[in-house]
Amino acid sequence: MFNPETLIRKGLPKGHFKDVAARSFLGGITYLVVSIAVLLFAKIIADGAPVLFKPEAPFVDFEFLTAKNETLHVFDDAQGNRHQLPAAAYSQYVSQHEGATQFNEQTYSYSGGGIAGPIAGTALLTIGSMILALFFGVSAAIYLSEYAKQSPFIHAIRLAILNLAGIPSIVFGLFGFSVFVLAVPVITSAPSDRSLLAIPLLIGDYFLSFQGWNSSLMAGCATLACMILPVIITASEESLRAVPQGFRDASLAMGATRWQTIRKCVLPFSLPGILTSSLLAITRVAGETAPIMFTAAVAAKDDLPWQGLKNPFDLLSSQVQALPYHIYTLAARIPSSEFTQRAQYGSVFVFLLLVAFLSLGSMILRAKLRAKLKW
Amino acid sequence: MVSMQTAIQIQNVSFAYGAKQVLHDVCMDIPARQVTAYIGPSGCGKSTLLRCFNRINDRISGAHLTAGSIRIHDVDINRADIDLQELRRRVGMVFQKYNPFAKSIYDNVAFSLRVAGKTKRSELDDIVEDALKNAALWDEVKDRLHSSAFGLSGGQQQRLCIARAIANQPEILLMDEPCAALDPLATLKIEELISELKKQYTIIIVTHNMAQATRCSDQTAFMYLGKLVEFGPTMQIFENPKDPQTEAYVTGTFG
Amino acid sequence: MPHEDPQPPEPAKRFQKQGFSYENAIKFFFASNAGLTIVILALIITFLLKEGLGFFPGYQRELEVYRIAGLEFVDISRKNLTAHEQITSILNRSYYAEINGNCAHQMHRSQEASALVNAYSDLTGPTRDLIVNNSQPDSSPSPEMLTNLKKNFEKQKSKALSTLPPTPHLTPEERQALIESIRSRAFDATEDPPLVASLATEFAEAREKQVKPLERLRTTIDTFESAGSELSSLVSEMTGSVTATKEKIQHADILEKDRKTLLAAASGAKDPVEREKLIAAAHASLAEKPDIEGPINILMERRPACIAVHQSLKDAAASISTQLPNSLTQPEATNLLKVAHNLWPLFLADLEKTPQTINDWNHKTPVPLSTAISSFLTGKDWVTGGEWQDFYGILPLAAGSLMISIVALTLAIPSGIGAAIYVNQFASKREQSLIKPVIEFIQAIPSVVLGFIGILIFGTILRDLSLMDSLRWIPGFPIEERLNIFTAGCLLALMSIPTIFSLAEDAINNVPSAYAEAAEALGASRVQTTFRVIIPAAFSGILAAVLLGFGRVIGETMVVLLVAGNRIKIPDFTSGLGTFFQPCHTLTGIIAQELGEVPLGSVHYRALFVVGILLFAVVLIINATAHRFVNRMRQ
Repeated sequence: MFNPETLIRKGLPKGHFKDVAARSFLGGITYLVVSIAVLLFAKIIADGAPVLFKPEAPFVDFEFLTAKNETLHVFDDAQGNRHQLPAAAYSQYVSQHEGATQFNEQTYSYSGGGIAGPIAGTALLTIGSMILALFFGVSAAIYLSEYAKQSPFIHAIRLAILNLAGIPSIVFGLFGFSVFVLAVPVITSAPSDRSLLAIPLLIGDYFLSFQGWNSSLMAGCATLACMILPVIITASEESLRAVPQGFRDASLAMGATRWQTIRKCVLPFSLPGILTSSLLAITRVAGETAPIMFTAAVAAKDDLPWQGLKNPFDLLSSQVQALPYHIYTLAARIPSSEFTQRAQYGSVFVFLLLVAFLSLGSMILRAKLRAKLKW
Repeated sequence: MVSMQTAIQIQNVSFAYGAKQVLHDVCMDIPARQVTAYIGPSGCGKSTLLRCFNRINDRISGAHLTAGSIRIHDVDINRADIDLQELRRRVGMVFQKYNPFAKSIYDNVAFSLRVAGKTKRSELDDIVEDALKNAALWDEVKDRLHSSAFGLSGGQQQRLCIARAIANQPEILLMDEPCAALDPLATLKIEELISELKKQYTIIIVTHNMAQATRCSDQTAFMYLGKLVEFGPTMQIFENPKDPQTEAYVTGTFG
Repeated sequence: MPHEDPQPPEPAKRFQKQGFSYENAIKFFFASNAGLTIVILALIITFLLKEGLGFFPGYQRELEVYRIAGLEFVDISRKNLTAHEQITSILNRSYYAEINGNCAHQMHRSQEASALVNAYSDLTGPTRDLIVNNSQPDSSPSPEMLTNLKKNFEKQKSKALSTLPPTPHLTPEERQALIESIRSRAFDATEDPPLVASLATEFAEAREKQVKPLERLRTTIDTFESAGSELSSLVSEMTGSVTATKEKIQHADILEKDRKTLLAAASGAKDPVEREKLIAAAHASLAEKPDIEGPINILMERRPACIAVHQSLKDAAASISTQLPNSLTQPEATNLLKVAHNLWPLFLADLEKTPQTINDWNHKTPVPLSTAISSFLTGKDWVTGGEWQDFYGILPLAAGSLMISIVALTLAIPSGIGAAIYVNQFASKREQSLIKPVIEFIQAIPSVVLGFIGILIFGTILRDLSLMDSLRWIPGFPIEERLNIFTAGCLLALMSIPTIFSLAEDAINNVPSAYAEAAEALGASRVQTTFRVIIPAAFSGILAAVLLGFGRVIGETMVVLLVAGNRIKIPDFTSGLGTFFQPCHTLTGIIAQELGEVPLGSVHYRALFVVGILLFAVVLIINATAHRFVNRMRQ
């Protein structure tokens, strides 16, 4: 016979300690991860923020963001004052104080001036590759979500997207190097020795030569675009599919063509979603180092990308500095000392700030989007 | 003084999901060792009420009893020192959509025993066999006890869920539209099973199907808009309802 | 759509007449853009293979040259020489570990005292030298400058004195005395303070005392060391001649290649004069066949001498092994001794086999392509740009990648999955909104920043920790290199936690809530429900999360390039768990490091592409498996 008294527990519930132990173990792990992450950020902020911010108005040291990257010269003058001057200021100083001796002079590569070059390079790389990736990616997504029916072609495309998404970034670097740097066709009057194939064009002395674009902004953008393409396609297709089928049916039923339907009734509603997810893609493109190491990036460059160009095409075919590659150089190629820390932590801090803004922006946009678009 | 024949005493129960009030002042006594059916249109609160009996509503954040009490054999199940796991062992439940775990048939039935700390193999074997026999499933599955439960048909899976619910010898068995996802033949089997099971268990069943209520219940309660409209012997509710709303519902003029 | 412009149907009709509709053109445009993904994938595969497959014939030829020039013959002896040197160095390390261990206290005191003085001299030295140089009679400094310099010196002196390193093994009084003696000494004085000298003497005396009882061990080691000298001189004698032969063959290869290129150009040239010129140039480039047999025969004449040297080394080694003690007082010394004892039989067995190998060796044995492939896949050396011979063996790189992945996954799997379970099952809404953004933000951190964190922050912290006396018991501590497998593994763990976390959380979230409801209705507690029902149901999804995390770890480049230490060597597994604190190199890192420096089209260049193919294949297999699990979960 059932004894209702058993329903009332005496003392703590059975297995209470097991419960508490399991929960606190899992919680402990979770908060350990979170606190390690927070500590690392705090360390970078603590070391990097003073480079960018200063205590008096206007609080932001724009010089670090707008000055070119230079070698840092550290020396004592005869009065025993210590000077830290970037290369340009240093040569000015030397010409002004002709005959004066400098003592204890030391130079630190990449540590003087600011990071205008890397910032500009990363911006150009990001913009270029996102334009390419959005154009091709959104078109591909439109095909997949609006036109495609089950067919071997579609199956192959999906398989290709899945596989492309998994390829390690360094393999994209190899690919970009062997294809965009060394093999894609260019029109030139003098084909290089290593050209794979030179087809004479009938106009003038020009050849269509498969000799690649060399390490250049173009090659870097193309490589990054290939890398990010699967991400853009997947995200765009998701946004396109989120538009209710009813919108399309209604438009088609009113006699609009497929393309009119897509242009007027599908794209406008999925555009916010596509742009939001592209923000996340930007953080990835801006942060990748391996694909641009051999295709676009250069450690030191005197001019900003747009300076000293004869024609606009030169911009595309010149190498650029890039923020992630700059950080790699600062971390791997120069020994750390009190004079290099400003450049090192400052660059990383600016970079993290950029990434934080982008991902915060995408998080907020996503939340807004969810609140706004409900059908 | 409560008669031993009463399994559940529902006293002025009001219930809310957050700010949304779904049950208003429900009062009734559910008799033991009988089948009690809840009928009513969708959203009338009958499932919510059923889910109060084993406090499975606690899972939903914001769900709470706003007034009244539910007593099982004279124990208030909402008191703070209730052993929730024990309560649920004593009040078994079968859901609308059959939901066996992604485990073998045997492990599904033995689940409630294992979480209660019974792990002796020989003991488990006996109980599992009994439960499956009581659920009229033993003959169909005795040769493949250790294959996946998902290999069974829908009706078999639902009977497996019943076997799982009665493996712990509960006092009360709650059934939330147990045949809603089944075809008529499987439904018939479940109904036969219910009339078999009421010899041992107090059964409370929520159903949309009025024919089902007449076929297998002893008592019927009609609920509407979160209120208990009428409660009485099944024959009386269907043939001679006192309330005009009940009459309208059972004759099919609304709902 | 209210603002829909009425489109005249005419244009479409006009196109249709020509069998080409505007709508179809648009569709074709989109389809071709979608097809671009297939093109890119095909291009990746084609170009990897195009560059990579040329590697094996090239490597085959290199190995062939290695054989016919006789380098391989020399390496038979060199291998034994290396083993001998290795054992000698282990014995010596054991010997010094014993001595230094027994007078560790004195050693620390002496080292700390000199470290303190050195730190001071490093900071003040340059200025002091300037003053000294400017005070020479022949220089004519302005008096103002000298005063300034002296002021400077004082400033630096006080700064240096305030930042002296810690001296835990010196008493406070001793430290005080030491600082005082630095402070008060004349600025041009260079001799060490008396305490440093006395501590050095103290240490030397303590060592002296330790050396006495170990004299026999010392003699044994010395005997062993000198037993190898004959072999050493033999090897270096042979090295010169075979290298010369190799250079001759390589030169001939280059000429031959030029000739072929010229001939090919000649057959393509249209102008007969041009063609004649090219053919003439090709003939001029015809290499005379390098003389291989001569030098090889000289080498072969050394065979008996070679065998005799090995014989005598073997006899010496066999007798010496019995004279070595089995243990010493210091645990580290005993461990090293044990390692030497373990290596000994292998060494003797190798020596035993050597005469046979030397006799069997024949420079005419062909090198098949399969040898090139197998020596790539199972080779233990990745040696490039050396003067002797380049080897492209993938094992050191694969071992590095694997070891780092093991560390990373050991840390990331429990924490990623644990956090996923916690956040999904137990955390309140508020906790979720704190934890999730932080973990998402970790995912957004570029890998090069993580590498930076590893080099400048984490590696340093780890090294400082490993120097603490209280942590000596951890195997591998104190670490030799701050950049090692463990450092890289930790950072990659941080990197893969978000991947594992979000995918595992998805998998748990996708378990139907009916499962949890049923479990609780059957009397299971929350924890029981989670662990007995939900986790098993989400298992294949969680497995997929782990696999995708693994794929991410093995394909990651920047972190390992910056943090793994980049030493191309199979980790020394004899040190147990300490192995994880050794530096290593990785499959991804080697590409990033070497691609920029190799000549296009060289064997080395192609080897990097083969590494790329391997990575590509491994990651694809991992991802495909993961997606299979995901699909199983969906069903």
